[in-house]
Amino acid sequence: MSNKANKYSSNHLKWKLLRKHISPSQLVGFSLASLIGLTIVILAVQFYQDVKPIFNDEESFIKKDYLIVTQAVSTAGTLLGSKSQFSQEAIADIEAQPWCRKVGKFSSNDYSLYATISVGGMGGSAMGTMLFFESIPTEFIDVADSDWKFDPAKPEIPVIMSRDYLSLYNFGFAASQGMPQVSEGIISKVPLEFTLRGNGHNETIKGRIVGFSNRLNTIIVPEDFMKWSNERYGSGLERDPSRIIVEVNSPGDVKMQRYLEDHGYQVAGEKMQQGKAQYFLTLVVTIVIIVGIIISVLAFFVLMLSIYLLLQKNTKKLQDLLLLGYSPSQVSRPYINMVMAINAVVLVLAVIIMLLARACYLPMLRAMGTNGGTIVVAIIVAIVIMSLITVGNIFAIKRKIKALWIQQS
Amino acid sequence: MNTITLHNTLPAVFAGRGDTGSEIWLRDVTFERGKHYLISAESGTGKSSLCSYLYGYRTDYSGTMAFDGRDIKTLAVKEWCDVRTNHIAYLAQDMKLFPELTALENIMLKNSITNHKSEQEIVGMMNLLGIGEKVDSPVSKLSIGQQQRVAIIRTLCQPCDFILLDEPVSHLDDANNAIVARLVSEEAQRQGAGVISTSVGNNVKITVDKEFKL
Repeated sequence: MSNKANKYSSNHLKWKLLRKHISPSQLVGFSLASLIGLTIVILAVQFYQDVKPIFNDEESFIKKDYLIVTQAVSTAGTLLGSKSQFSQEAIADIEAQPWCRKVGKFSSNDYSLYATISVGGMGGSAMGTMLFFESIPTEFIDVADSDWKFDPAKPEIPVIMSRDYLSLYNFGFAASQGMPQVSEGIISKVPLEFTLRGNGHNETIKGRIVGFSNRLNTIIVPEDFMKWSNERYGSGLERDPSRIIVEVNSPGDVKMQRYLEDHGYQVAGEKMQQGKAQYFLTLVVTIVIIVGIIISVLAFFVLMLSIYLLLQKNTKKLQDLLLLGYSPSQVSRPYINMVMAINAVVLVLAVIIMLLARACYLPMLRAMGTNGGTIVVAIIVAIVIMSLITVGNIFAIKRKIKALWIQQS
Repeated sequence: MNTITLHNTLPAVFAGRGDTGSEIWLRDVTFERGKHYLISAESGTGKSSLCSYLYGYRTDYSGTMAFDGRDIKTLAVKEWCDVRTNHIAYLAQDMKLFPELTALENIMLKNSITNHKSEQEIVGMMNLLGIGEKVDSPVSKLSIGQQQRVAIIRTLCQPCDFILLDEPVSHLDDANNAIVARLVSEEAQRQGAGVISTSVGNNVKITVDKEFKL
């Protein structure tokens, strides 16, 4: 009974009437074009989200308006044995500059240091190397206090390492020696040991990597550890720092740049290069997104044309339905449902393809030390684009059907 | 809806012709609920135009038409949908059936939005009009006369104040004409509805309160 009732329901009969002239090939064409366009757009957005952390200059432990300044090392200087350290006067002069807020000195270890790291867990190979430490005043480092301190009673050395060292290992050493590549997450868990020797002491202390830095091209340990270890193992001689960290009002200040140039100082870090790379990344992603949007817009018009054609072919039927007392919204409903169904399928497929593609490139990004960004942004972009397209479709269908209301004599 | 009034109306195509001698055009005419009217016309006098104006799908006329005094040009789309499902039942001259649907499907397409008759009643009417065995035949396979009977049954599948029939029996023999007349009269009586039918010669055989010459 219900089956029979359903057979004669207005929706069923309407659909039976109006599905005529629907061209599957046109709809498949639209769906494909729309799918390609939307996938390109959201994949580009997702890729940008995933790659951004690699370029992101804003590290959690060192702020943007801190500059690391070194003296230029010249060939002549090396031959003549001239010092590349900052004298007390030079530092005082920098501190006196109007663009300077604060100067911190790098201090380094004054004893022999040997680091050992085990790769591959128990029974795996261990690597060791002579090493150095540097420290800067804690106020320049933005790490939770609990992570960034040293307690001689419970010795463990937190370090911030240059990201370059990891890259050097992953892409240079590991690649050539057939060793496994490691991500930042993994290396932070690898047991690390430092052997400190000098002043008659020879001790091994555990270490722990708390983070990686693009801008600090060195290995940084807490200042209190540096003080303690230099007193314990070092010679006790005060040395001028070879680099300093300067907090400035604005890193782009022209006066400051001129001062640094005049004094032969260099600002460390590949900030400029990175800026360019990031600029090109943004540019390329923008171009890809624009191409995707153009394809989406074209797909939108393909669907629009297809629907117009369909409505045109069904004009008589639609008008007759209206005369039976069907409202324009009842008459447009089957077409609107069709469009919404197609668009929903395209949306879901596009997100799935995007996630599959992401799964393909993510391992490469992991090797470069990032787990990628959030997928929320790309999904929101996909939903927004599809909603806009759907709203446009619905609006056009309604307008077209409304235009059928009054018949020409 | 109790009255349909025409005040000085004239199809746009007749503009400038002066008095056509019509008893409808350029006159004040009132159709009352419960009464039966026959509009006899020759071809080309605007008979189907009159129906299309009264059903709201054409507006190319001068003068005023009103339902219960309200100018029908002011009705919103929603109100017209209400008129078409609850107040005026209309049989168009060209029947406006859907050839790809079966006879019963065509009728149910209307009845499913009005829920006015049961499927049983509909099949009963089809039997009465001699198209009982055509229930599941596509309308495209029916003769014009059979199609006309399907269209008439569909027209009666709604609550109404007026039944507007544009040449309802042009393709029917006398026997079927009589049955149609009976069905229409009964339905009109049941609902207290008025009947306005047009004809170019073959009148539906119902008693008429007033006849107009178009």
